Amino acid sequence: MRRALDLLYAAGLWLSALCILVIASLVGLQVVARIWDAILQALDLPRSGFVVLSLAEISGYLFAAASFLALAGTLKSGAHIRVTMLVNALPQRVRALIEAAALAFGALAAGFGTWAIGGYALESWRFGEVSPGLVQVPLVWPQAAMAAGAALLTIAFLDELTITVRTGRPSFRAAEDAVALGREG
Amino acid sequence: QSWDMPTPYPDATFHTVNIAQFADEVREATGGALDITVHSAGSLIKHPEIKRTVRSGVVPIGEVLISLHANENPIYGLDSVPFLATSYEDARRLYEAQRPALEEALSEEGLTLLFSVPWPPQGIYAGQEIDSIEALRGLRFRTYNPGTARIAELSGATPVQVEVADLPTAFATGRVEATITSPSTGVNSKFWDFVSHYHDTQAWLPRNMVVVNTAAFEALEPGVRAALLEAAAAAEARGWEMSQADTEAATKTLADNGIAIVVPSEGLSTGFQEIGAQIADEWAASAGEAGTAVLEAYRAN
Amino acid sequence: MEPTTFMLLLVALLFAILACGVWIAVALATLGFVALVASLPLPPGAILATAMWQQLNSWDLTALPMFILMGDILFRTKLSEDMFEGLTPWLARLPGRLLHVNVVGCTIFAAVSGSSAATCATIGRISLGELKKRGYSDVMAIGTLAGSGTIGLMIPPSIILIVYATATEQSVARLFIAGVIPGLMLTALFMGYVIVWALLNRHRMPPPEPVMPLRQRISKLRRLAPVVLLIVGVIGSIYAGFASATEAAAVGVFLALAISWRAGTLNLPTFRAALISATKTSCMIAFILAGAAFLTTSMGFTGIPRMLAEWIGSFGLSQAMLLLALTVFFIVMGCFLDGISLVVLTTSIIMPLVTAAGIDLIWFGIFIVLVVEMAQITPPVGFNLYVLQSLTGRDIFRLGLYTAPFFALMCLAALLLALFPDIALWLPRTMLE
Ligand code: NA
Ligand code: NA
Repeated sequence: MRRALDLLYAAGLWLSALCILVIASLVGLQVVARIWDAILQALDLPRSGFVVLSLAEISGYLFAAASFLALAGTLKSGAHIRVTMLVNALPQRVRALIEAAALAFGALAAGFGTWAIGGYALESWRFGEVSPGLVQVPLVWPQAAMAAGAALLTIAFLDELTITVRTGRPSFRAAEDAVALGREG
Repeated sequence: QSWDMPTPYPDATFHTVNIAQFADEVREATGGALDITVHSAGSLIKHPEIKRTVRSGVVPIGEVLISLHANENPIYGLDSVPFLATSYEDARRLYEAQRPALEEALSEEGLTLLFSVPWPPQGIYAGQEIDSIEALRGLRFRTYNPGTARIAELSGATPVQVEVADLPTAFATGRVEATITSPSTGVNSKFWDFVSHYHDTQAWLPRNMVVVNTAAFEALEPGVRAALLEAAAAAEARGWEMSQADTEAATKTLADNGIAIVVPSEGLSTGFQEIGAQIADEWAASAGEAGTAVLEAYRAN
Repeated sequence: MEPTTFMLLLVALLFAILACGVWIAVALATLGFVALVASLPLPPGAILATAMWQQLNSWDLTALPMFILMGDILFRTKLSEDMFEGLTPWLARLPGRLLHVNVVGCTIFAAVSGSSAATCATIGRISLGELKKRGYSDVMAIGTLAGSGTIGLMIPPSIILIVYATATEQSVARLFIAGVIPGLMLTALFMGYVIVWALLNRHRMPPPEPVMPLRQRISKLRRLAPVVLLIVGVIGSIYAGFASATEAAAVGVFLALAISWRAGTLNLPTFRAALISATKTSCMIAFILAGAAFLTTSMGFTGIPRMLAEWIGSFGLSQAMLLLALTVFFIVMGCFLDGISLVVLTTSIIMPLVTAAGIDLIWFGIFIVLVVEMAQITPPVGFNLYVLQSLTGRDIFRLGLYTAPFFALMCLAALLLALFPDIALWLPRTMLE
């Protein structure tokens, strides 16, 4: 179970990283094409005129997908920020209780988000919504990716909730505290 | 009752001015029973999401550029087929021919068309004069939808994609060399800061439409509904006049600011006519029987 | 319910949720949910999805992960150390010494990045560790970074100036040119503050480095080569027409890879670490952007920001008083809403007031950017503070304290801008007319 979950979060994180790499590569390709055209032009040759079609739209969709797919992995590594000043000042017992409440609330909110964004994606699919540009991207793809990311986040919150109930602290507290001590840089 | 109305364009655009007046008239005619708050410039809902937001009933009413949704249904793309309807009279006839099919497509989405107003005719802005189709060959031409992409393809121009906000920098650094849009847009974005020529090609008159969620519309009291329709009819008539007046004023402003207004040469016009005929046929093929019928109805008139 | 009472209740709720350690993105979205459900019969789910989708599917935002990735790749090279080694002997006599690197670095980076958070994240990744290692005060290192990061909004390219230009139909080119001198003025003010602070707090500065002979100093300049290459490459790609401002961020990634490869630090493990770290940082910011977008859209539906702006308009204030009132309005609201959204939500109400008062709209655009910059560093909603919390682990409220002097300097800048409008208007007038 533990391994399966961790694998799931890692998969989301890596998919997200992949989206970011694809954005970088598409933009890079476009820039290289422009440089190539400038060289051709300087040599009085006809320009290639190569364009990455719908670059802006596709990159935007990839960014939306990337942002949500990484949510769970980012939570598990303690990188989502929050104010822990007050929680830290409390005695351990109370602190565990409040941590659990915050996690339960997070799970509730993420669950609601999953339902809402999932419904949004479903509607795009039913009405066959596509992007307005040259390449017709079905909008359900990036939106479904967002819904999947939100679902992963819900699972991650529930996962941390059980850990906190069992051990009194979320598993990412160590990472969060490490950052808090300014060790990372 | 209070309605939120998202619109895509800024307050000073004549479309928004017209809609603000429309909202005022509805409020007055219904004695405040229907109070429409206009959220301009995509401040509440951004342009690509406005139609679906009205459809899902989150907002009851909204404005969109019809051709933004051309990829979903060819009928939404008819008004932006280039060189098909190149004057206000033509655009009016095209609207009349298109209207039944447009309303049907909208009704499938649970939307009702209130009114539709054209933008001024589209012309080509460039850093030099373009006197023939050949002069377009290899020119970096901004394309932003399938129609403009096809123009570039058929004329041999190099299609490039540039966001509107990026146009000044793109022109200044040579990433784009020509763009096709209305004189109003040229004035709003102060095109004289970076281009020198405007070719009054009158390529097409893209239209915005104001749609209302059918369920919300039918839930209105009969009196309120009648007042809404009456204000819509008035807004449509007024909008077409404003559009024409804006064409003249904006073209003058362009000239006043030192942009050369070029009447397209014989060669350029004929070349565009040929390209236009081909794109129109392609459109009819993609739009099937219903589309062909609309096109024939327009051409028969 | 009275809008002001309602707002106060919402603010109280925000503080209560935040205090319990609920994640900032979740807290902002919760506030949006409550604001909506409490006042309107609208479906919160559909609005949440619309708001988050329309916010995140954005071409402009793609520059954010690119710049962060660039910073993370460079962080794993010796670039920062080289840069600081090369600069140290030259700054030895300037009070404040290497603290100026933050200010100047952000100013230079502002010419590439249109966003304040990206500027802060990238420069912070490169400089904070080095400054700490060399014994500089955390308070000053963080404060200068948070303050100067906001210059990214003022010096072109700038996302918010584009938003303002579109909403008010002003020329982007003019606004961009108008932002240059006010941006440099902020740089000067911040550097001036660093100098004064360093003179007054000698004991909190690290011991002085030995003064080197000129020849040695010049030979050390070689270590600046990678940084110079990076800056020239990224800015150059824009001005040569090879890349748009958004695309230049990806150029930065490839240049960073080249530098890292040349330095021999590029291998699969470091690249993987940089990529995953950048993905997480970008996700953290995007999550908050999504939460804030839901809050903003809900606020748009409740109409509260419009009502407050209309309320200000109802007094028929004079030009100076109107500016003062709007400044206070933006500073207070800027604590709770993201600055750019605030401009978008209230333009329709504020622009007629401003035009009626005879205020130049180009000048007002620059003024608004300055005020939005202040909103970036006031807690609890301030994106530069979020970036810094993730870099340093300090709480946003403590970071708000560190940045307070810079907030005050921005108020001073706003005053100067109001007294001498030509700070913004002279350059566009000279260049374009
Ligand atoms: Na900038
Ligand atoms: Na703030």
